[in-house]
Amino acid sequence: MRPALTPHNPVTEPPIHPADPEQKNRNPVEGVLSVDGSTTLGWKERWQRFPWSLIFLLTLTSLLGLVVLYSAAGSHLTQPDSNNTQYLLRQAGRFALGLVLLFAVAVLGNERIYRRYAYLAYGFSLVLLIAVFLFGSISMGARRWLDIGFMRLQPSELMKVTMVLAVARYYHDRTVVAGFGLRDLAIPLLLIICPVVLILKQPDLGTAMIIATVGMVVIVIAGLSWKMITVSFALLAAALPVAWNAMHDYQRLRVYTLFFPEKDPLGSGYHIIQSKIAVGSGGFLGKGFLNGSQSHLDFLPERHTDFIFSVLAEEWGFVGCVVLLILYLLITARGLLIAATAQHRFGLLTAVGFIALFSFQVIINIGMVIGLLPVVGIPLPLISYGGSSMITLLFSMGLIAHVAIYSKQYRKTIT
Amino acid sequence: MFDEKPKTFQVDARRRLLVLGGGITLLFSALTSRLFYLQLLKSGTFRDMADDNRISLQLLSASRGRIFDRNGVLLVENLPDYQLVAIPELASQHLRRSPRDRSGLARLLESLKPLLQLDDKEIQTVLKQASRQRAFLPLTVKTHLTWEEVSLIETRIHELPGVTIEVQPQRYYRTATLASHAIGYLGEVTAKDQARFQDIDFRPGDLLGKSGVERAMESKLRGMDGLREIEVNAYGRQVRELRRTPPRPGQDIALTLDMDLQQEAERALAESSGGTGAMVIMRPHSGELLVMASQPSYNPNQFVNGFLPDEWRQLTQDPNRPLTNKAIQGQYPPGSTFKMVVVFAALRLGKLSEHDTFYCPGYTTRQGHRFYCWRLHGHGTVNLTQAISQSCDVFFYELAERIGIDAIHQQALRMGLGTLTGIALEGERAGLIPSRAWKRSTHKAGWYPGETLITAIGQGYTLSTPMQLAVMISAIANGGAVYRPFLVKPEQAPLAVTPGQKPGPAGITPLWHNHFRPEHVALIHTGLEEVVHGVLGTARTAKLNGVRMAGKTGTSQVARHRRTQSGSVLKTTNRRLMDHAMFVAYAPAQQPEIAVAVIVEHGGGGGTNAAPVAKRVMDLYFAKQRGETVPVPHLPGNNPIIPNPDDELAEEPPDEVDSNP
Repeated sequence: MRPALTPHNPVTEPPIHPADPEQKNRNPVEGVLSVDGSTTLGWKERWQRFPWSLIFLLTLTSLLGLVVLYSAAGSHLTQPDSNNTQYLLRQAGRFALGLVLLFAVAVLGNERIYRRYAYLAYGFSLVLLIAVFLFGSISMGARRWLDIGFMRLQPSELMKVTMVLAVARYYHDRTVVAGFGLRDLAIPLLLIICPVVLILKQPDLGTAMIIATVGMVVIVIAGLSWKMITVSFALLAAALPVAWNAMHDYQRLRVYTLFFPEKDPLGSGYHIIQSKIAVGSGGFLGKGFLNGSQSHLDFLPERHTDFIFSVLAEEWGFVGCVVLLILYLLITARGLLIAATAQHRFGLLTAVGFIALFSFQVIINIGMVIGLLPVVGIPLPLISYGGSSMITLLFSMGLIAHVAIYSKQYRKTIT
Repeated sequence: MFDEKPKTFQVDARRRLLVLGGGITLLFSALTSRLFYLQLLKSGTFRDMADDNRISLQLLSASRGRIFDRNGVLLVENLPDYQLVAIPELASQHLRRSPRDRSGLARLLESLKPLLQLDDKEIQTVLKQASRQRAFLPLTVKTHLTWEEVSLIETRIHELPGVTIEVQPQRYYRTATLASHAIGYLGEVTAKDQARFQDIDFRPGDLLGKSGVERAMESKLRGMDGLREIEVNAYGRQVRELRRTPPRPGQDIALTLDMDLQQEAERALAESSGGTGAMVIMRPHSGELLVMASQPSYNPNQFVNGFLPDEWRQLTQDPNRPLTNKAIQGQYPPGSTFKMVVVFAALRLGKLSEHDTFYCPGYTTRQGHRFYCWRLHGHGTVNLTQAISQSCDVFFYELAERIGIDAIHQQALRMGLGTLTGIALEGERAGLIPSRAWKRSTHKAGWYPGETLITAIGQGYTLSTPMQLAVMISAIANGGAVYRPFLVKPEQAPLAVTPGQKPGPAGITPLWHNHFRPEHVALIHTGLEEVVHGVLGTARTAKLNGVRMAGKTGTSQVARHRRTQSGSVLKTTNRRLMDHAMFVAYAPAQQPEIAVAVIVEHGGGGGTNAAPVAKRVMDLYFAKQRGETVPVPHLPGNNPIIPNPDDELAEEPPDEVDSNP
């Protein structure tokens, strides 16, 4: 990879740009294709520059997810007539649909358009979130969904993507010399805090945490000064004990059980204990496909959605878990690499935001399933059963792929 | 715009991306090491926990062994008990309600109410139990259903969703009150029982033998429970069976008791002058028991179904003590049946010969105190044979004085009195044979010479159980061997005795042997035979049909006799103060097959009240031996209806009645 990234490589010859037949802008390093050049790439080039390795990794992970889902969705022991094939087909259908969306976004789309509509999309999501706040439908004690006739929409899923777009859009045309200061932070922070507050009200702590964290990551990557970063961390560290002291006893207890669910084995702790048993009893090689007793005898909660990782861990063991983690890490690395070679700041920041979104969801979900983090409702990307998270994820991957196509680094040998 | 400072932007962003990528990798490694900890280091613990989750153990109870009598008559078996079981979930489903809704069960119970005569309290109990368990688990609504109730439910089963009739084995004592002391009863396990059987894992509420053979043979009657390993889901519902270890049923056992004789004995006791008492028939050459009766008795089936507080009070406070096995727990002064002990002691010491005589004027006087003979006008000059056959008290007063209390004490112990017989039943009493040492340690007083006299006629401190008396008379019948009585057939020893053949001990060895000298035995034997067959014998009215018998009567004083000026005994009208009637015997006199001990409590004179009881049963024995058909129809048939215990108790004689006018 390294030689490909170096700008002046005498061996490689960049292809002739269709919008620049005289090759005035031969040097690919300094934004030849920037600003207006993106629309001018031909089909063949887009095909060649397309990040196939990313698609390959996503497909591989999804296939692994389908295998796990087949086991998690049904139980041949307790419900011999369970319809796990149907679960499998629906999830596969969603993946296919998402893949089509991915290609559309990556190949047909235009970065300028994305940039232009970023705020609009954000505003639309925010309106939907407010609508949820006002007349969303309640399910399992939380107000998260909008009933719009034919389907149930979860606007917080949409917000994850549009928030990244909006913050990236804000920093796209800000000059950075020695890092941003306080003044450059006001609007992005507002962009982050509004949805976070609305989502906390639902309540959906997990999603709110993800949006806040990912938003901060985008700001930091955009060029927040190291001084600011240090000061923020110091402030946060100082604020924690103060906040703890200011809390009521019952609030402290709630925080405590959030982080130590084992203390409440019959309530919220039950799920995490069963999940840990499933993971731990899987051992090195696992109990084998369709043989997980914890999953198939209903001990595991939410086993085809939020806790699907414990099914994998129980049936495929440590080996299966490590394989999945490696796949996730490769996707993350590939995404970061694309971000690093982005032509525009907007592209760089959206790619980083989406990759952060992706990997933080992975970390929070798995951390929760194996008892490292509190139980919050975050699905496992590409594996958990569910439509909106799959579609939004592949949409965001489409944008990353788009950034890759129009990156400075476009040699087909690399992609 | 950023064309102006492109390098700064690119380089700075790449540095930050590197930090981000490093951070993510670090977090992924944290996840991996946690997985390593859970799945590799702790996997054993979690695997055990997963198995605990999914595997549920169910005990399959082993059926308890049955009990037969010596002839193969079934005495105790396990009958099906019909129980009504309801599954609340199914009851609710029928009403299209959610499984958690208990109204389906409440409605079901309401419709069962008139069919089973349930009262509101019972319904409340069932509903309370239902609220404590999962809706798909069966719930016992009522046990001990009658046939009428079962058929009533069966015909309406389609109107009663979730209802099934289940069958549980229940101990059933076919013979009800017959031989109940020997058989015993079951009760719930206690901490003490658990200590007794270290190797058995009892569950709370388990039943085990509490008395009689049920207790003594617990480890044989009780089988080994089986185990079912089932896989259950998170709600406890069975998914499949993983493994099944079938239960090993308990072994059947056969008693040595003969139910024909046992029944005759219990009837004879109940119909005797005292109405209560005990009887033992033993094979003198082995200790094998043919009869062990105690009256009044109880119905062990009552223990199965549980008592009402009233019933229990009635049973425990009855002055006739129906729960006591008087054959081994009743201690009575042996009276004149003790006299053989004195004779053997004197013969052994050489202080008595065949021709020794004493003169009996009706009493003898010591230190100004009169010791009466039972016969007011005396027996005149009597030799040993006459003294035994007529039970002359003065003869034994004189004889006892000649040999002393210690010789009597020693001889009594050697003949099995004053010590446990060793029968394998719980709660046996040892009786009491006084001695100088005993009196010194318990009464802190010296031994008075007069006490030797009354000890010689089996009064005073002396106490013995009917079982001990049977052992003693057996020892006389067999020449001195003391056997441990038993009532469960040993597995391989053939114990059947053919008439005319000298009964062989068949591998059973005596506890110890006195090796009486044959001439001594013959001497006493003559006297004992005279008791029954002599003209003046005290038991001359109790001769057996066609078989010669040797025996000894006894009349043991309960309270000091009140006498008139002339010395004649004033008869008491208080039953509690009346004498016990005793009789010990063996027959046929020349080749003894059976030895008998009888006590009729407060029955009066032994010859007239106890000996006829023995005769009834012994006649039946020899009739059976001769192959004559037994006239009495016996044993309640195969009828699962349990006799009403109140009827049994009503037949008991009232407390304060002079039954022997």
